[in-house]
Amino acid sequence: MRILIAEDDPISCRILTANLTKWGHEVVVTRNGRDAWKALHAQGAPSLAILDRVMPDVDGIEICRQLREEKTDSPIHVILLTSLNRREDLLEGLEAGADDYLTKPLDTHELRARLQSAGRILELQESLRQRVRELEEAIAERKIAEEALRNLSLTDQLTGLYNYRGFINLAEHHAKTARRSKNPSLLIYADMDGLKEINDTLGHRAGSTAIAAVGQILRNTFRDCDIIGRLGGDEFAVLVTNLQDLETAKLVERLRRNLFEYNEMSGHKFKIELSIGAVEIDHEQVWSIEDQMARADEVMYREKRKKKGHENAPEEQRTPGTS
Amino acid sequence: MTLTHTETQAVDLAVLATYDEAQMEGEPDFVVELIDIYLNEVPRLFDTLRKSIANKDRSTARRSAHSLRGSSANLGVLQMAAIAGELEHLEDNYSVAAPELLLSLENEFERVKEILNAEHKRRSS
Repeated sequence: MRILIAEDDPISCRILTANLTKWGHEVVVTRNGRDAWKALHAQGAPSLAILDRVMPDVDGIEICRQLREEKTDSPIHVILLTSLNRREDLLEGLEAGADDYLTKPLDTHELRARLQSAGRILELQESLRQRVRELEEAIAERKIAEEALRNLSLTDQLTGLYNYRGFINLAEHHAKTARRSKNPSLLIYADMDGLKEINDTLGHRAGSTAIAAVGQILRNTFRDCDIIGRLGGDEFAVLVTNLQDLETAKLVERLRRNLFEYNEMSGHKFKIELSIGAVEIDHEQVWSIEDQMARADEVMYREKRKKKGHENAPEEQRTPGTS
Repeated sequence: MTLTHTETQAVDLAVLATYDEAQMEGEPDFVVELIDIYLNEVPRLFDTLRKSIANKDRSTARRSAHSLRGSSANLGVLQMAAIAGELEHLEDNYSVAAPELLLSLENEFERVKEILNAEHKRRSS
């Protein structure tokens, strides 16, 4: 161990130094309180200090007191040296924060035993600190991993459908393979009507139930090989892959029927309505998923306007994806 | 030794012998080194005591007496440690008793020096 000795009495100091050195410790010797304080705050300071109770400038008890006022995760283990039969010094020292004490004249066997116990405590503290460091590192790593996972997530928690990121990724991937096979696909854009009213009148919990229900209806309507996503808020999209033996009109009809059935059977206070825009994608041509989504969104929006009775109103300038 | 024998031993050489445990191989005799420090230190402390007692500087006198007691006890110089302790805690009749105690310390030191020098010689030979 690295041990600091603060002792103005030359004989006591020499006896301590000689024994500690003999036992293999590294000793830093100071002759007064001020130097001791400095040595305890230097780089690579000792973790154990043997401080004389009585010193000409700053005494051991005062150093103890000041050390304990410092907030640190590696407190210095302090052994106070007091004269025999000075019980009041002893109590004052322990109250000031000394970990242990030794009486003078020194009994070297006692000194050795006290150092061993100090060593055990310091080791324990160090292993605790190490453990805390490891845990902190583990927590930090975990947080980074969770964040990465969130960013990587492809599914929407509420509905279990793909989220925007997941939908676009899979749709793009499908677009590539479909181009080779030249199979037509169908892109359906579906936007809930009146989600805001459900939220406002029945609460957000009802709104969430409605959103989840749309997810379930879409899943029941389309096949497993179709790509179904909740793009955000009240917007959904379905990419029906390999349209060959299916008809667009029939599919949309099936969706409407399922919606109707849900509203009849659910027993909820709200009714789910969807504005639907469906566009067929001809894979003979080069297309991007964004272009096709803009097309489907446009068709859906026209339906929504029709429902609201604005059929003949002039077209508004609007950005795809908003409604 | 009889039960009426009250005089404390001047130097308990057994105390000195315990420091042999701290002896490092190939180094000069550790006990001899301690004796040298002590024989050097005591006259210095006597000096301070004489001056502070004459100047009625009790706190300095008390501190020096405390040091003398500690050093003496460490080397097994028991009688001096006892007198120094008395001086350290002296309250009553200070101006008369303090110089007396200092004098008996100086006398006792003559006796102690002889014993320690003999031990020094024995170990150095």
